[in-house]
This record gives sequence, C-alpha cells and structure tokens, in this order.
Amino acid sequence: MSIPSFTGLQTALRGLTAAQAAIDTTGHNIANANTPGYSRQQAVLTESDPMTLTTLSNTTGASSMLGTGVSVDDISRVRDQFLDIQYRAQNSATSNSSTKSTILNQVQAGLDEPTANGLSTQLQAFWSSWNALANAPSGTSSTAARQGVIEAGTTVANTLNALDQQLATQQSQAQQQYQTLTASPNGEVESDAQQIAQLNQQISQQQQAGVSPNDLMDQRDQLLDNLSSLANISVTDQGNGMVQVSFGDAATPLVSGTTVNWPQTLTSAAGGQLGALQSLSDPATGQIQAYRNALDSVANQLATSVNSLQPSSPFFSGATAGTIAVSATAGTIQATATSSAGGNELALQIAGLAGGAADQSYATFVAGVGSDVQSASNSQQTGQSLLTAINGQRQSVSGVSLDEEMTNLITYQRAYQASARVMNTIDTTLDTLINQVAN
Amino acid sequence: MIGRITTQMTSSMTIADLQQSLDRLDTTQQQLSSGKKINQPSDDPYGTSQAINLSGQLSSLNDYANNVSDGTAWTQQATTSLSDMDNMVQRVRELVVQASNGTYTQSDLNASASEVSQLIDQIKQEANASYNGQYIFSGTSTDTAPYSTGSNDQYQGGSGTVSRLIGPNTTVPVSTDISSLLGSGQSSGSGDGKLLDTLRSIVSDMQSGNTTSLGSTDLNNLDSNFSNLTQMEANVGATTDRLQLASTRIQNLQTSDTSALSNVQDADMAQTAINFSTEQAAYTAALRAGASIVQSSLLDFLNS
Repeated sequence: MSIPSFTGLQTALRGLTAAQAAIDTTGHNIANANTPGYSRQQAVLTESDPMTLTTLSNTTGASSMLGTGVSVDDISRVRDQFLDIQYRAQNSATSNSSTKSTILNQVQAGLDEPTANGLSTQLQAFWSSWNALANAPSGTSSTAARQGVIEAGTTVANTLNALDQQLATQQSQAQQQYQTLTASPNGEVESDAQQIAQLNQQISQQQQAGVSPNDLMDQRDQLLDNLSSLANISVTDQGNGMVQVSFGDAATPLVSGTTVNWPQTLTSAAGGQLGALQSLSDPATGQIQAYRNALDSVANQLATSVNSLQPSSPFFSGATAGTIAVSATAGTIQATATSSAGGNELALQIAGLAGGAADQSYATFVAGVGSDVQSASNSQQTGQSLLTAINGQRQSVSGVSLDEEMTNLITYQRAYQASARVMNTIDTTLDTLINQVAN
Repeated sequence: MIGRITTQMTSSMTIADLQQSLDRLDTTQQQLSSGKKINQPSDDPYGTSQAINLSGQLSSLNDYANNVSDGTAWTQQATTSLSDMDNMVQRVRELVVQASNGTYTQSDLNASASEVSQLIDQIKQEANASYNGQYIFSGTSTDTAPYSTGSNDQYQGGSGTVSRLIGPNTTVPVSTDISSLLGSGQSSGSGDGKLLDTLRSIVSDMQSGNTTSLGSTDLNNLDSNFSNLTQMEANVGATTDRLQLASTRIQNLQTSDTSALSNVQDADMAQTAINFSTEQAAYTAALRAGASIVQSSLLDFLNS
C-alpha cells in the first residue's frame, strides 16, 4: 500500500552507478582509441527489476509496478565476427602475394635485365667475339681475336654461375625464413598458438564466472589476425569461450581448446606467407627451382651448340648454369676443322648461332620471371586494396570514434548530474518529512 | 557507404592512399630518370623479351657491318693487285707484239726478255698481297705466300675459300685462289698453259729468237690468260658490289631496329613529364588534405 521511504534514494544511486559505468567505459574507449586490435566497448544498460506495490490503489485495490531505475547488465564489445572471417581470408591471400612479390622482385633484380650488364648482352658479346675470330683466324689480329673469344666465353660462364648462385641463395633464404617462422619452440607460429591456448583458458574461466573478458578476446583476435598472415586459418567457436584454430593445410588443428599441436608439415597449399615461401623455395617443385632449371637449359643449349662445332676439344665444360666453365684455351680454339690457317667455317657457324636457341630460351626465361613478378605484384596491390577496404569496415564497426565518445561523455555526465539532482530532491523531501513534521 | 567513420579508419585510409600515390610517383620518377619505360622485366614482360631480341639483332647487325668492312678491305686489296697485274700483262703483250714483228735484233729481244722476267717477279709479288697478315690469294692457306720469289713458280697456297658472315646464314667468299690464273709455271716439267707458264715461254722464246712462236702460240696463250685475268677482276668487283649492297641493307636494318627498340623500351619523355607533374600535384594535395583532416575532432569545439 505504501512505498518504502528510501526507495527513491536507491533508484537515484543506480542511476549514478550506471552513468559512472558508462563514463568509465567511454574513458576506456578513449584511452584505447589507437590500440591495435581494440574493439570499442559499451555499457549495456537495462531497467532494473521493478517493485510490486500491492493494493496501491485505495479505490480498486489493484497492485502496480514501481520502476527501480537502471542496472548495468554487461560491458560488451562491438565486433562483427563475419568481418573478422573476411579480413583473415584476405590477409592470408595478401600476405601470400606480398611474400611472392618481394622474393620474385629480388630474383628479377639479380638478372639485371634489360641493361648492358645482363647475360643477354654478354651472350651478344660472345657471338661477336666469334665473328672477330672468323675475320682473323690467322695473321696479326689472330691472337687478340682468340683471347677475345676466351674472355667473352668466360664472362658468359661466370655470369651463368653467379645467376645460379644467386637463385640458390634466394632459395635457401626462403627456406630459412620458413624454418624460423615454424621453429619449435620459439617460432612465431608456435608462440602465437601458445598465447591463444592460454587466452582460451582464461576467457573460458572468466565466462564461467559470468564476466565477459572483452580485452582478452581482443588480444586473442589480434593473435588470430597475425596467424592469418602466416597461413590460411579457420576459427571455430567451441562454445565454452574457447576457439579451435585450423592452420594452413596442417593435418590436425593448431590450437584446440588449451592444446597446441605443433610442429606440423605445411605445403605450398597452406596459403599466407608460409605457403608462399614453400611454393617458392621447394627444392623439387618450387618456382625458384624452376628458374634454376630454365637457366640450366640455357647453359646446356649454349654448351652443346658451341661444343658441337669444336670437334677437337670442347669449348665449354659443364652443362648446368652452376658448373659451366670455359675449358678451351686461346691455343685450342678451332676456327676451322681443316689444317688451313685461314679456314674459318667453324667460327662462322658459331657466330651464326647468335639469336639462336640459347639466346631465345634466355629471353623467354627473363620474360617469364618478369610476368611472374608482374602478376604477383598486381595481386598484391589488389589484395592490399581489398584488405584496406575490409579493415575499414571492421574499423567502422569496432573502431573508436572520438566524436562519438565525446558525445557519450557529455550524455552520461549529464545523466550523472541529473541522478544526483534526483537524490538531492529526495533528500529535501525526507528533510521535510523528518524535520518539519516532527514538531 | 558505412555509417560510422572512426579516426583510425581515416588515418589508415589516408596512409594507404598516400602510399599508392607515392608508389605511382616513384615509378614515373624512375622512368624519367632512366629515360626508359622498361626498367625491369616486370614493367612489361613481353616488351622485355622483344627488347632483348632486338638488341641481340642490333648486336648481330653490328657484327655483320664489321664483317662487311673487313671483307671489303680484302676485295679492294685484291682489286688493286689484279689491276696492277692487268697493267703488267698489257706491257708484256706490247713487248711480245714488238718482238714478233721481226724488226728486233737478238740484243733487243734479250732486253725485252729481261723486262718480262722482271714483270714475272712483280706479278708474283702482287699475288703475294696480304691484308692484316693474311695472304688474300692463297685460298684458306692464308699464312702461306702463294709464290716464292725466284725461278720456282710452284703455287704454294691452298684451295678452299675464306668467307665473311654478312647476314643470317649468308656468307660471301672474300679470298681468291690465284692458281687458276697464274698456275704453277713450268716447275713440273711440262707447262699448264696458265699465265706464269706463258710468260716463261715468252722469255725463253725471246732469248732463243723464236719470233714465229712469239707471234702465234705465245700471243694467243697470253690473250687467253688475259681474258681469265679480266674475268677474275670482274668476279672480285662483283663481290665488292655485293658487300656494298649488304652494307647499305645492314644500315637500313640498323636504323629500323634501333627505332623499334626505342619504341619498345624508351619512355615518351613529354608524356612521362606530364604524368610526373600530375602525380606530384595529386600527391601534394593528398598530403595537405591528410594533414588537415586527421587533426580535427569534436574535442576542438567543446568548451573546457
């Protein structure tokens, strides 16, 4: 029938507490405005349970519900899980093409084409030197011409050796990088996985205690983002606050609850940086190995075609880019197969090899590397734009807008002031009751 | 597009856009400074292989041009020597005609005989002409003089031809086997009817006063040898012409290949410079906009 005297004070107190919680949350958002991976939080306010006043009405005797103010149900984080999935998929793809683009660019730079220092120019100089020998197989310029052939041949052989060596180094560096990232213990993959497993444990405990551990979940999402740059990942919610993480094409999940399964084998199908490193550096099927094979075939074509026209002693020894060397000396070069000093038919035929199989396959090889680099950097650029766009959407949902926070701050500050005023009013009312009514 | 715009969004978008803008500026800058639109194979993979092929062709053309000028030097040397021989054979013919008309005394004939002998030596000297240390009338035995001085007329050179590469799979013979003209004289006992044999017969007929033989057999043989000589001169001249034609053709090809290569790999400087200033203006504008957008927020307009 009557309302307890101090109910209003409690209602005003709840209003003060709720406003304070909202102001604190706003403060937390503002403080973390630039924290990577931070999702903005908001205080979820609901009306508190009303008080049932039985037979409040003197005439009808009906009961009523009296509102008791507000309660803070939860501090939740604002995040769209679907955008996370999109972001991670795109992050893997972009990181994959960016790794390829970086390493292939190094391969391309090593070729030094098209410049005056590249192998194509040196091959041209080599063929020219045979023309010079054909013009002077005997006579005063002959020694110089022979020496010229040896020097041009040595330059070509040395360049092929150096190119092969560069490719081998790039191959082993990529392999090394893969080993470092996947090392167990202390590799980046394993360290991320361990942290995720620990966070799984903590988040699960907190949730069981009825608390939502927003900041821990942000940390876990941040780690998952990082893992997604290393390989494709798929994240499954296990329902108890824990997530299961499948990583690349590894056979068993990398993280399942609090368990970490690492090391495992990944192939080029893993996606992300690790997949790119595998697809480039694989010693059997990798792209760099394919380049080395192409270079070997250039060396082989060169050696075979020139040697077939040097019947007495071969000009080149070795038939791969790594091993090719000039075995002839100025004395053993044959301009002719006859005993005539002035015969030059062999030199003419070798000079006629210019623009032939070796030059053609080298030009094709260079163009092949060029188009690989081009397509890798194109897909990197496209991927980067997509990633920026998706990240923009994610930021739009989860990012902190200072304008919005400032507005919230004012709103909740005013709410706090208003609740305080309510309390003051009730106090005055009680003062009236206690001090004025007594006498 | 999206309802909420946050500060981080604005700054990360601004940075991404600035980077793209700077990347384009960098590419154009590289094209401007190198003058080439292909600076690495990935700029234009197909263009790169074209550029490599074209510069290979240019290098070959350069070689062909060198070969042609070397070959021309051989044929010019041959032309000079053969034309000198031509003069000498005509002088011999005058002497033979004078000797055969019966007015010369034996001592006149002896004097003529000794002049012809000297001309034989000079002809052999001409046959030993060389270019760059290589005997040009010796076939492929370019290190051996075709004839030795003195009475031995045996041809010591080789057969075979020395050729020059003047185009893909195209060679031109530049050496001449002089033995088809001069022969090996009378060294092997009986004569071979070639020029040296005829000249030696003339000398001996003059010395023996055999004017009948001088006027008939010797003169006929000399005329037939002379026509061989003229034929050889014509052949060498034809080779020289062929080399000159090749030289013109090579120059034309060099011009067209050079311009093709330039089309493939050189940047259009005017266009590139305009692109550069456009991109620079865009970049500067983006920088200025970025600097002013990111710094303002509601905070600036709230009182205390």
